[in-house]
Amino acid sequence: MNIEIDQLRQKALATLEASSDEASLKELRVHYLGKAGAISQLSEGMRHLSKEERPVVGKLLNELRTSFTEALEAKEAVLVLAADAAVFQSLDPSLPGTATWQGGLHPLTLLTDRVIQIFRRLGFALATGPDIDTEWRCFDALNTPAHHPARNDQDTFYFPDGRLLRTQTSTVQIRAMEQAPPPLRIIAPGSAYRRDEIDATHLSQFTQMEVLCVAPGITLADLKGTAEFFYRELFGPEIECRFRPHFFPFTEPSFEIDVRSSLLSNKWLELAGCGMVDPAVFEAINKKRGDNAYDPDKVSGFAFGFGLERLVMILTGTSDIRMLTENDLRFLERFV
Amino acid sequence: MKISLSWLGDYLKTTQTAEQLAETLTRSGIEVKSVVSHGAAIPKVVAAQILESTQHPNADRLSVCKVDDGSGTPRQIVCGAKNYKVGDKILLALPGAALPGDVKIKVGKLRGVESEGMMCSSKELGLGEGVDGLHILPPETMIGTELGALFPADDILELEITPNRPDWLGYLGVAREAAAFGAGEFLEPAWNLPSTIEDKNVATITDHNGCPFYSIRKIDGITMNPSPSWLVQRLAVMEARPINLVVDLANYVMFETAQPLHAFDANKIQGALNVRFAREGEKLEALDGKTYQLQSSDLVIADDQGPQALAGIIGGMKSGVTAATNSILLESAIFDPATIAHSLRYHGINTEAGYRFERGNRAGTMEASARVAALLDELTGSIAAKNLFVAGQFPEPLQIELRGDQVRQLLGAEMSDEQIDGYLKKLGLIKKESAWQISSWRPDLYRSVDLIEEVSRVHGIEAIKSRYMAFPAPSSKEDQAYDQMMMLRRRLAAGGFFEARTGTLVAKEIADKKAIALRNPMGEQQAVLRTSLLSGLKKVLQHNLQQGSSSIRLFELGKIYQQSEAPYCEEKFSLALMTTGAAVPMSWRSDSQRSLDLYDFKGMVDQLVPGKINYQSWEEPLPPGMSLMLRVFCDAHLAGYVGLLHPAAARELMLTGQEYPVAVAELDVAMLCDVIEQGGGNKVGVLTRFPAMVRDIALIVDKSVAYASLEQVLLSAKEELLRSVTPFDIFTDPSGEKIAADKKSVALSLKFQHDDRTLTAQEVGEACERLMMLLKTSFDAEVRS
Repeated sequence: MNIEIDQLRQKALATLEASSDEASLKELRVHYLGKAGAISQLSEGMRHLSKEERPVVGKLLNELRTSFTEALEAKEAVLVLAADAAVFQSLDPSLPGTATWQGGLHPLTLLTDRVIQIFRRLGFALATGPDIDTEWRCFDALNTPAHHPARNDQDTFYFPDGRLLRTQTSTVQIRAMEQAPPPLRIIAPGSAYRRDEIDATHLSQFTQMEVLCVAPGITLADLKGTAEFFYRELFGPEIECRFRPHFFPFTEPSFEIDVRSSLLSNKWLELAGCGMVDPAVFEAINKKRGDNAYDPDKVSGFAFGFGLERLVMILTGTSDIRMLTENDLRFLERFV
Repeated sequence: MKISLSWLGDYLKTTQTAEQLAETLTRSGIEVKSVVSHGAAIPKVVAAQILESTQHPNADRLSVCKVDDGSGTPRQIVCGAKNYKVGDKILLALPGAALPGDVKIKVGKLRGVESEGMMCSSKELGLGEGVDGLHILPPETMIGTELGALFPADDILELEITPNRPDWLGYLGVAREAAAFGAGEFLEPAWNLPSTIEDKNVATITDHNGCPFYSIRKIDGITMNPSPSWLVQRLAVMEARPINLVVDLANYVMFETAQPLHAFDANKIQGALNVRFAREGEKLEALDGKTYQLQSSDLVIADDQGPQALAGIIGGMKSGVTAATNSILLESAIFDPATIAHSLRYHGINTEAGYRFERGNRAGTMEASARVAALLDELTGSIAAKNLFVAGQFPEPLQIELRGDQVRQLLGAEMSDEQIDGYLKKLGLIKKESAWQISSWRPDLYRSVDLIEEVSRVHGIEAIKSRYMAFPAPSSKEDQAYDQMMMLRRRLAAGGFFEARTGTLVAKEIADKKAIALRNPMGEQQAVLRTSLLSGLKKVLQHNLQQGSSSIRLFELGKIYQQSEAPYCEEKFSLALMTTGAAVPMSWRSDSQRSLDLYDFKGMVDQLVPGKINYQSWEEPLPPGMSLMLRVFCDAHLAGYVGLLHPAAARELMLTGQEYPVAVAELDVAMLCDVIEQGGGNKVGVLTRFPAMVRDIALIVDKSVAYASLEQVLLSAKEELLRSVTPFDIFTDPSGEKIAADKKSVALSLKFQHDDRTLTAQEVGEACERLMMLLKTSFDAEVRS
């Protein structure tokens, strides 16, 4: 038996030595280690051995099974390693990656969203109003005299029934106050229209953001704080804000806000108009509401408004406003 | 408005530089658009006289002049200008002079003739645009005078004046404001106001609403001398053309005081001047040479012959002042701004006077008139009548009450009553016993809040401490709608789509009958509001194809508009998608040739509201330009459509030789958002922990069988273990070799699962068998697994 075992060991190891592919190793495993394989067959022969011999031969056979299994598995491992290595060798890592398509939002949408998120931090809620509105909401309620130049046909788009395309999103201030009593804290982004010839800095349709806060005890200090907070969030903490006295029919006092930053040209940039809501606006609202919810002696408020295209242009270095309406994909891809 | 600092110096004693003054004015609310230095003293430029002029021997366009520069020896100068005559005095740049733009003057030959200097135009010396050709000096100029003495250096500030401050449309107003903001001392001229008298034979007012106050000063014995050079120069700063001494002085004083004036030739006026509205059929031949058909809304100054001026806007030709005039009626008045604005707009006129009156100017009505009279007397020896003839009432100054706490409450600033009083006094307001008296030049101040604004300006907003007051604001309906729309946008961007934003005004022919048209569009191309987003997206697609894009995936989420019964107009958000070109980016792999098609497109639309989008066939006739359409439902609600452009319509957008399908969709955003709001597709439920089993089957059916009907049969078969059906191979063989040409092979992957237990191969096999049998009987299909 010992001799047979020895012969089998020598033969098995020699065949293993000669095998170099996965298929023949698989065959060897079946041939020697399988249920009906050579080693099992030898084990069958143990039945004829004496009680004394059995453990000795059994031990030898076990050793043979173990050592052959180890040798076989070592060989298999070598082959797997070689195959794995071959996988990487076939790659050319210098080939460019294959992309999937990317899409993106329009820079004006992205900026509008940033602005909205900043005001939400301060507790402002969104409000909206239609583009088509009445002359009363666009001008009269905003204390604009009947003969004001902005109201004429050269500056404002009108419909045959006397309605108009709003020239400013301030119409939403009026709508919000018509609908709800104070306190009110709203922002309203939207389109506005003016009959301007289109050039590098003008569109006849543009986008504005309207901000209105009305409550008892609101002061100019709140307007200043809110505007400064907004511009610092938008442009960074190093910016300076300047409030220049100005005139708007619907605020008193009125200011224009200029912003300067070393990160942006370091010149004063005129960015917004603002002011404390004119009592005449509150009075117009009260008359419409038929109550005294906006009693100018009890509530006060601030409003401010600004063009969003101009902010996009400043923040993205876009020199021609028409790029925002052309929708050239090479331009839009910059904002992915 | 432009202002000259040297002129402003007549009314403002200041040590501020132009830049500092610009800063001061900006702080006060006068926006300074630009600061330009003028007439810098250039050495070696002197006044000279042309003694003779001959043709250049070698150049048709040049002449050779002998010029006296005061040195005693005439110089020979070659000159190309044509606007002079012998004897004119001009400005001569001598050799060694350095003109603006780095032009160095030296002795040299021009076409063979020596030239010892250059005769200059206004532009060449930085004196402004001037006339074309040489700058001709007044005849009284001393030969040899240096440029610096003739044109003192000056700075011109360009100001932007807000419509509430007509007083700033005069030098005095600007000087007064600058002084109040610390620039220096305001120097008010001595006015010598005459006493007033009413005389119905000179001036009357019929319509007091249009004109509360009217005045006439009669000035006789005028000698119409030429306007002195200082006057012409100052008018030039204001870009006013010199006309004659009287008109020039009236204009000058208007720029000085902001009060427009008008002079009638007294000899051409018959009877009293009357301020009234025009009558039917009246006309006015105005000083601008045009004849205006007057309306009953036009306020006029009329005499016995009819209208002699459009009040506050423009005078009439017939009674205008000419070189022959020796006696004038000088008008100074207050007119109703709305009346003036209406006439300006109606007739389409713009004049300096109208500009000031429509802004409600009432600064210096008396003063301006007295000033012109004094200047005329001084310059021509004329004699102004002792009295000013007046009609109507000069408005009483307004009194406004203001409490310190009102100021502190609105401004949120700590300041004492004394501080507040100090600010208002600085602005020239007068504190009376219980109120502030408002000066005539401040028509914008009529309520206490207007005074608070004045306090805030002088105090300065920098001095007010910022406050951050925030209170919780629950999200509004609009907040929710905005967030849902942003979610749709972001899903599309994640799916490879770019957002376009196009204009809402479109051409009439692309919109349908329900489109709302403007009364006053800017052009045919922007005449109506869009009723769909597609026309805008098509233009964007076309633009990008022309720019060489190989794959275009666009969407727009924006408003569309259409007429409706009540309210008058419906505005709603719409979402349009459009794709064409390559399905995947070009790469070295071989799979990059496929074009974006209907199935890619449906895949994206499905992702807008996952699990809630389904499609049904189109039942109406297709609209023009479309070759295939499907109705899109979100849950059970019709939300819009997807479709393919007709190949002919698609080709119109493409470059020659391009041929891609163009897929389009337009969906109602509210329909999509409603489902998102209800949490559509977001309920998680139980995630089963037991494995699914997948079985693939293939069937051969008639080509005409719609895939959806196969799926429909399987999913409605009440097999409780069947979870999903996914097609993974569709095969046809036009040659009929592998399968019959009128058949198609569809391979389906069926997924089975149970929430509470592991499936057995047997029960899945049985379910699969039943489903295959069902397909066989329903579609006469050949089925195999």
